[in-house]
Amino acid sequence: MLTAQKRVVATAAAVMSGALLLASCGGSESSGSDGKTLKLWHYEAPDSAMGAAWNEAIKEFKRTHPGVTVKFESKGFEQIQKTAQMVLNSGDAPDLMEYNKGNATAGLLSKQGLLTDLTDEATERGWDKKLSAGVRTTSQYDANGVMGSGKWYGIPNYAEYTMVFYNKELFKKHGIAEPTTLDELTTAMDKFVAEGITPLANAGSEYPAQQYLYQLALSKADRPWVDSYELYKGKTDFHDAAWTYGAETFADWVKKGYISEKSSGLKAEDAGISFIQGKSPILFSGSWWYGRFKSDAKFDWGTFLWPDSNLTLGSGGNLWVVPKGAKNKDLAYDFIDITMSKKIQNLLGNKGGVPVAADPAAITDPQAKSLIANFNTLADRDGLAFYPDWPVPGFYDVLVSGTQKLITDSEKPDAYLSALQEAYDKDVPTK
Amino acid sequence: MTVTVERGGRVVEKRHHAKSPRRPRDSYALFLLPGALAFTAVIVVPFLMNTGVSFTDWQGVGSPEWSGLANYRELMDDSEFWASFRHSLFMVVAMAAVPTALGLVLAAALFDFVGKHFGSATASLLRACFYLPQVLPIAVAGIVWSWILAPDNGSLNELLKAVGLGSWQQDWLGDPDIALYSVMGVMVWVQIGFPLVIFMAGLQRVDPQLYEAAELDGAGWWRRFWHITLQQIRPEIYVVLLWCTIAALKVFGAVYVLTKGGPGGATNVPSYFSFTTFFEKTQVGYGAAISTVLTVIILALALIGLKFQTRAEDLEEGIRT
Repeated sequence: MLTAQKRVVATAAAVMSGALLLASCGGSESSGSDGKTLKLWHYEAPDSAMGAAWNEAIKEFKRTHPGVTVKFESKGFEQIQKTAQMVLNSGDAPDLMEYNKGNATAGLLSKQGLLTDLTDEATERGWDKKLSAGVRTTSQYDANGVMGSGKWYGIPNYAEYTMVFYNKELFKKHGIAEPTTLDELTTAMDKFVAEGITPLANAGSEYPAQQYLYQLALSKADRPWVDSYELYKGKTDFHDAAWTYGAETFADWVKKGYISEKSSGLKAEDAGISFIQGKSPILFSGSWWYGRFKSDAKFDWGTFLWPDSNLTLGSGGNLWVVPKGAKNKDLAYDFIDITMSKKIQNLLGNKGGVPVAADPAAITDPQAKSLIANFNTLADRDGLAFYPDWPVPGFYDVLVSGTQKLITDSEKPDAYLSALQEAYDKDVPTK
Repeated sequence: MTVTVERGGRVVEKRHHAKSPRRPRDSYALFLLPGALAFTAVIVVPFLMNTGVSFTDWQGVGSPEWSGLANYRELMDDSEFWASFRHSLFMVVAMAAVPTALGLVLAAALFDFVGKHFGSATASLLRACFYLPQVLPIAVAGIVWSWILAPDNGSLNELLKAVGLGSWQQDWLGDPDIALYSVMGVMVWVQIGFPLVIFMAGLQRVDPQLYEAAELDGAGWWRRFWHITLQQIRPEIYVVLLWCTIAALKVFGAVYVLTKGGPGGATNVPSYFSFTTFFEKTQVGYGAAISTVLTVIILALALIGLKFQTRAEDLEEGIRT
């Protein structure tokens, strides 16, 4: 029999564990499938091209769906990236969510059965016709979660690609001609070095350094090479001509002073700021910088695609995905449809984004026109070669760490390529 | 303890409070219960779950596959893991050893010298200044330090140039030979306030007569520091060393903000390594194995430290009585 004191202890224990149980279950209650609520998450900043376009799409959705409430939650990229799996496994999944594309992200979720198959919607609503081959690659994933074929699990509404941003005023000031070929680019860089200026803005502790290197490799590569590396359609040899050229040229460019040997610890933001402040005349990076430069760079600047290369880094943008546990899937499909409409696509284009289904005549901003024209050139020649960190999970860190060693000359190109090979082979999926 | 006595033909229960050591403890147990339950819910259960996951091959979604000790076997051969632990030892130097030593000297100097000559308000102000980095969020401190240590126009390099030491300029966070020492330097700055405050509080309870007597006997500052200060605040030193060592072993924020473990893994530490394994590589089982090993090491160190401290205190009490 329990003494009074033990009873108190037991009651307290029961109350506490009950409370803990309740607390652990509390979050799982969902809003229910009422057809009256669209729960939407995305992580685009409101002043970015995408943010502006999605906000307009929400307005349009409300107009065409009277009586439906849009519950929009603005999330952080990292927040969604790091917690998506847990959220999608719970009863709290939104109806529509922006998610990062690629094998290790959307591919992984689709493989685990956490995303809705959008194939029927994509064909019925004609989204498949609107997306070019390169853009479409990141929408489809096979049973192993490998992009490029299989069912549709996500729809991108914009694209992204890398280009050379250059400071026209600095070129003029130092009497250096604007380059159109790789030879002219290297001549220009030699002249800048002679003037005491490091021509290329770089950042070793984040993506820019590895993207320079991958671009150099791409300039000696072709589509089967990319498919082999990114889609596992063949064996990737990191000591082949393209990778060797990429690593050796990158290391050589550090030695020649095109890339600062002190850039190994810098972040992408540092490289962007260096360009904006007019310290670095050239930055090779992605269209995600475009809007920022447009508003912040106080000098005349231009862009061109990496010379003498058919391929460049780029892909469809992040994806709209419909979680498997979404309550109002039809509303989610309707929203995707609106973001694919000419009205929203044109707005996206005029705000400095790269739309996938805009009306060229409706893009009026001259810089936006050239951004989209360059993209069309790339899309026409099937030139989007994705990103070097995509093939295996965790490869981003391997590339960052390796290129940092190339910049600081603490590893030679051959050893660097061997390290990449080892990391890649260890985790590459075997079909 | 309960005894039964007969009184006037009636049997009554009489409680002997004074002789019963069990009663108060039972009452205390009740107060400990909420804490114990919360500890179980947020520490013990997740730790056991984490340990369970460490025996599996799991990507964070779907069903985990039992892989036994495979993750631990892989850890044994993982040079990156061992390198990260070596860096942890450097962090123990930067976050426990150096701040404790510096904190002792600074606390004694502030208490003994500044306090006496410039007033306690000045000493308090200086103490607050040293403590400031502890209040500052590590993300903010890290970003500011990354500006200071920037290779091209960082203030440290600019300062060196301005005072004619241009040849000493370095790529503080980008050079693999220097980066770890740079992070260590920042951590000393972050950490110094904690021991300082604890030691100054400890010094308050030291009998001033001891110092006066020593001074009268002709003991200089150093001898007073060595024979009085150091001996009297030994319990505080143990606490600080233990606390800071644990903080050093699980350091994450500073590495994340300053270097992301780079360049080329030169500043990687176990907690950051575990984080990237979990979230970047989505190797949840392997990441769990790393964090389990880290927890066991920290737990062992904490227990050894506590044991050591208790023994030293017992010894001290034995000497006094």
